Amino acid sequence: MTSLVWNIGYGHFLVLAAVLFLIGVAGVLVRRNALIILMSVELMLNAANVTLIAFSRMWGDKAALSAHTFALIVIAVAAAEAAVGLAIVVAVFRGRHNVEVDRLNTLRH
Amino acid sequence: MTRTLILLTAVLGLVAALGSAPAAAQDAPDDGTQVVPVAASGCTAEIIGNVQQALPGAFHLSCQKSRASTDAAGRVHTGSVDAVRADAVVNGKLISYELTADGKRVIASIDDHSDLIGSSGKGMALLFWAFAAASIAGALFVVTRKNLIAAVMGMVGSFLGIAAIYMMLYAQFLAVVQMLVYAGAIMVLFVFVVMILNRPEDEPVAPSGRAGQVLGGLAILYLIGRLVMILVQVQPPDPAIAAAAPRGDEQCVAWKESKCVRTEHYEWGSITAVGTDLFGPGLFPFEAISILLLLAVVGAVAVARPLREENDAPAKVRTEGAP
Repeated sequence: MTSLVWNIGYGHFLVLAAVLFLIGVAGVLVRRNALIILMSVELMLNAANVTLIAFSRMWGDKAALSAHTFALIVIAVAAAEAAVGLAIVVAVFRGRHNVEVDRLNTLRH
Repeated sequence: MTRTLILLTAVLGLVAALGSAPAAAQDAPDDGTQVVPVAASGCTAEIIGNVQQALPGAFHLSCQKSRASTDAAGRVHTGSVDAVRADAVVNGKLISYELTADGKRVIASIDDHSDLIGSSGKGMALLFWAFAAASIAGALFVVTRKNLIAAVMGMVGSFLGIAAIYMMLYAQFLAVVQMLVYAGAIMVLFVFVVMILNRPEDEPVAPSGRAGQVLGGLAILYLIGRLVMILVQVQPPDPAIAAAAPRGDEQCVAWKESKCVRTEHYEWGSITAVGTDLFGPGLFPFEAISILLLLAVVGAVAVARPLREENDAPAKVRTEGAP
């Protein structure tokens, strides 16, 4: 047990990423505010990135550096997703004055 | 009620999917004896044999010789071997050894990297736990807070913790990008939108009843427990390669007839290494990402722009009505 605390291995990073991902999933499933759901999605993307880097490091291979490229692309996609998602949130708020996904059950307002 | 059902189904599905995972995870032999390819430079077969007897599982052998000299007759005298160095993984730790010239005896051992991720001992372990706790606490903040600004700040804390975690995985460049893009740009975007909306949430968490909450909580705890049990066992396929990764390393940059003709000094995760990969094999995705970002900017502006007939018309009426 003490070795599990003091010897940080790859498993620790993977567990951390998994827990972050789970929290993100819980946020998407449980919360109703569209903003919080977007944040939870960002959390999940980050957790996936941590997993990528941990595995890349674990394989220690030069070719595994492609995980860095992959992670950078994921960050860029996350930024694009946040921009478009938040724009949609603002547009929806303008039309309905609330951003709770449970109340957004019609296409027109 | 439907939300509870959806949540429970998703969690149980995940648990069921994980239930079958241990069988696959047990395939990998974990008896501590890894067959490590010996990369020897400048060592004779005799020395390699001696070293392997003295240090089972040694790799990265290197024999340093005094400089070769050429005498007047043009004969090359290669120097005798001065020092033999080798690395070995002992109990998951990488240790560098210095051996006598014949490779039979260990002179000194240098605890280069005290564990597999290259962190050094308990201080680094404490830092890992601190940053892991920060990122998880921030994530919990995001999911539980009613106040949206508090949620955004929790998200920023989580991202900063993740940046530190990247640093521990030797991904320095990615850590900096993480701080700039997430804790900088995306945070500002979220804060702006929260300020624009400026509306407290009436119903933060779905009402699901005591039984549903307890069941869901238990299922999530079980799921996390299973994940920890499986993932903590994860070992690198070759601890020798993994442990040696952070060091400055020669990387081949030019090949000719499957032989390396030029090497360069790289460090794993540095800007040079990441840039070489990004602008080499990753060039097409890199260019595609720029188009995606352009489209996202245009799309965001197009979507968020106020509709003309809704917002402009009342304003016109007002100006006309004003004296």
